[in-house]
Amino acid sequence: MAFRQALQGLRVILRYPSGTAGLVLVALFSVIAVIGPLIAPHGPFEVVYRADHSVLRLSPPTWRALFGTTNQGMDVFSQLLWGTRVAMLVGLLSAIGSVVLGTVVGLVAGYFGGWIDEVLMRLTDVAFGIPFLPFAMVVISITHPSLGLVILLVVFFLWRTTARVIRAQVLSLRARPFVWAARAAGAGHLRILLHHITPNVLPLSFLYAAIGVQAGVMLEAALSFLGYGDPNAMSWGTMLNAAFQAGAMRTAWWWVLPPGVALSLFVVAIFMITRAYEELLNPRLRVL
Amino acid sequence: MALLEVEDLEVRYRTAAGEAQAVSSISFAIEKGMCLGLVGESGCGKSTVAKAILGILPPAGRIAGGTIRYDGRDLVGMTPAELRRIRWQHIALVPQSAMNGLDPVYTVESQLHEAITAHQRMPTAQRRRRIAELFALVGLEPGRVRDYPHQFSGGMRQRAMIAMAMVLDPPLIVADEPTTGLDVLVQDQILQQIRQLHDQFGKAMLLITHDMAVVAENCDRIAVMYAGRIMEYGGEAVFRMPYHPYTLGLCNAFPDIADRGRALISIPGTPPNLVAPPVGCRFHARCPFATSLCADTVPPLAQVAPGHVVACHHVDQAERFRERAADPATWRNETPGP
Amino acid sequence: MAIRGAGWKCSADGRPPRMTNLLYAALRRVLLFAVTVWCILTIMFALFKLLPGDPTAIFLDNNMSMEMIAHQKQLWGLNDPWWLQYLHYIGNMATLRFGDSFFQNQPVSEILLEKVENTCAMIVPALVVSVVAGTILGALAGWKRGSRFEQATVTTSLVLHSAPSFFVGILVLMVFSYQLRWLPPGGMVSLGGPDRFWAMITSRDYLQHLILPGLVLVSREITGPILLVRSSMLEIKGSDFIDILRAKGLTEPRILTHAIRNALLPLVTYIAVMTGLLLQGQVLLEIIFAWPGIGRELVNALGDLDYPVAQGALFVMALVILLLNLLADMLYGLIDPRSR
Repeated sequence: MAFRQALQGLRVILRYPSGTAGLVLVALFSVIAVIGPLIAPHGPFEVVYRADHSVLRLSPPTWRALFGTTNQGMDVFSQLLWGTRVAMLVGLLSAIGSVVLGTVVGLVAGYFGGWIDEVLMRLTDVAFGIPFLPFAMVVISITHPSLGLVILLVVFFLWRTTARVIRAQVLSLRARPFVWAARAAGAGHLRILLHHITPNVLPLSFLYAAIGVQAGVMLEAALSFLGYGDPNAMSWGTMLNAAFQAGAMRTAWWWVLPPGVALSLFVVAIFMITRAYEELLNPRLRVL
Repeated sequence: MALLEVEDLEVRYRTAAGEAQAVSSISFAIEKGMCLGLVGESGCGKSTVAKAILGILPPAGRIAGGTIRYDGRDLVGMTPAELRRIRWQHIALVPQSAMNGLDPVYTVESQLHEAITAHQRMPTAQRRRRIAELFALVGLEPGRVRDYPHQFSGGMRQRAMIAMAMVLDPPLIVADEPTTGLDVLVQDQILQQIRQLHDQFGKAMLLITHDMAVVAENCDRIAVMYAGRIMEYGGEAVFRMPYHPYTLGLCNAFPDIADRGRALISIPGTPPNLVAPPVGCRFHARCPFATSLCADTVPPLAQVAPGHVVACHHVDQAERFRERAADPATWRNETPGP
Repeated sequence: MAIRGAGWKCSADGRPPRMTNLLYAALRRVLLFAVTVWCILTIMFALFKLLPGDPTAIFLDNNMSMEMIAHQKQLWGLNDPWWLQYLHYIGNMATLRFGDSFFQNQPVSEILLEKVENTCAMIVPALVVSVVAGTILGALAGWKRGSRFEQATVTTSLVLHSAPSFFVGILVLMVFSYQLRWLPPGGMVSLGGPDRFWAMITSRDYLQHLILPGLVLVSREITGPILLVRSSMLEIKGSDFIDILRAKGLTEPRILTHAIRNALLPLVTYIAVMTGLLLQGQVLLEIIFAWPGIGRELVNALGDLDYPVAQGALFVMALVILLLNLLADMLYGLIDPRSR
């Protein structure tokens, strides 16, 4: 049933030019994420040599390196392709994680209410008070920077918004007559939750999953840019960090622009999709 | 000259499916001090008529033709400034009770003051006196005037709306479904309130409702609306001796406490699509007495008695219709045509 | 937040008195705030205890005798059992006594105060402009539904809202500072300028430095109020009471005022959330523009393993976010009569 809803959602999103553009871009990125590393001329940390075996450092775009090279002679184009895979991975995993966690918490808190609700909401309040980047930096300082850790941190950050929203939705659903009817017919809590409430909450979950992908990619990029990313994973943020550290901002535009533009396009594309979807859920938002 | 004269009013709504003819060729007149009841089922366009008169149609709606003359001046085509001068001072609105007609972030008092100051210069003390007077009139505690709308119950809010409508002493009050959504006891109170406006203060009224009984009790003249058109229009005779099949159906559908044995008969079917309305009589699809003529031609307004018109091709058979309408079988299409 | 368990004491005429309910609600919120702060402090304590490296090892010279090392450890309370350290920690942090920096010869609170002032010097102007301009633009866009103005505003806002602001910052720097050389490449003021805070922020030099980061900030932050106020406005426009206001014969500007008053409610809570998010993005912008604010201080402190500063910075940021949330909650209670 979830698939049917997803397909319907898809059809609606396609009605908007912005949503369609977003979908196309995301599809493009997805394809690159899968085949990118296969077609990349070099590995992400591989050094490019000239014909005379000297390292091709900080070179503007040439045939040998389509987007130029970094100060260490690595191919920007290849890094970009590899980085796409990292972005997708982080995005998807953090989205799934945060949505699952957020939805479960929201469902439980909203449906059962009472002290369970209070406790869970206080937890989310505490979570809300912690600024993500500073906190994440501290945690990564304690442990070892890794992609898994970043994903975990992002999930920790994102679930709270989803939980709040889902909870609000559950609260309004719980008061609706069809829930009373189910209770009167003798349905147990679990059944009501699974059968009646969850399907109605799923569209919202999907929306927040999409938002989660966007947030996940952004946050990973931010952390990597600050130098707290996984040194073994070449993400767009890491590329920007390297460029920044090397002081290449002043001259090596070919190094700075591709990861930045890729990041921007990806994030904006997803946002357009979520926006189209939001307008679906709330018709008043539409621009006539 | 009548206080309010509506002639051939045409209102259209822009919808996703096209333009809906919500109101077509509506004509009626309200004299000073007269109460006209506009009856019909949900969606027949009666609220649209009210909104058109007040000039508060939603952005998707427009007046596509006809005139609305207040005191001789046509409201259609007036400039916004002119309309504003007429509003509330001359024509006030008591909205549907289900509506949240009051701004939730302002006190009730401030909204009443606002109604006055928008049109007249009145010193504050005098305004306060007037408001207190009106609150007492509608049976609200004067002390509650500083409360916020959400602190009032539904019935109290509706009374506040009545008080607000009266604040400038307008000659004409439009009451749009004033009792829908209220429980029965409160409904009765509100109706009494409204009747008082008519009887005691001599206000002209346009009372819009789907409840035949309300109209029967309170109104001097009655207009029955269906699918955007007037089907029958007249005085008391409209429900004592109805001519139009739809009016017959409406009368059937309301319980009569004096006649408890009578079965409630509802009219089967649903109203027509107003984006592509039927060519002939708009009721013909649900009318047990319809003929091919009804399907092809719009029925003219036939005068059956002084001041009583009916939009039906077969007014001459009204006697027979009245008999047959009392039989539930007629409405179930079990007996063939007229 | 629901006022749970708040028994409504009725006065003689049967209506609940307003003042005591407000007070009760306010107290409850303050209490919640305190509990949340305590939770965060505890988490932080645990975090910092787990950080790697023995802080003493960095400073204490190898030439220092074992006694002196032991003495220093004693001073810093590092010999006490963990629960005693915890209590001292909570006590100190709650009273904003952050100790001295390991590297800079200054108490942490002095350092942080200066950095917070600097951060505010960037955030506050940007925020004020964003909220005011954003509200007006959003209200107009919502009111003039279907106009080209609305379309343009919404589309631009959507793009700016989602684009990564740190990249926009980098771009802007590259174009306007490095290439065109119109504006300074970073920092808050040029060297050799006035030292005192107020003299500094009224100087032209500061304004020049503020333009680029301020622009980037505003371009992103203005979108929130625009989109929010617009959607709020759209909902309200369709409300029944707006019809009645028009039927009452009020002028359009008056009706618009009513609408805005209603539309402001969600904005208040949003501002609190917004500022919280702002503080995080702040770190990135401060690094890019080399602005000496609290975010940059935290990054540097973590890099230097200057724990007192890092702790203090993190705590201050969390505190500010929570305070703002508290403020927004209270304000909301004041503006929306329904929530009382």
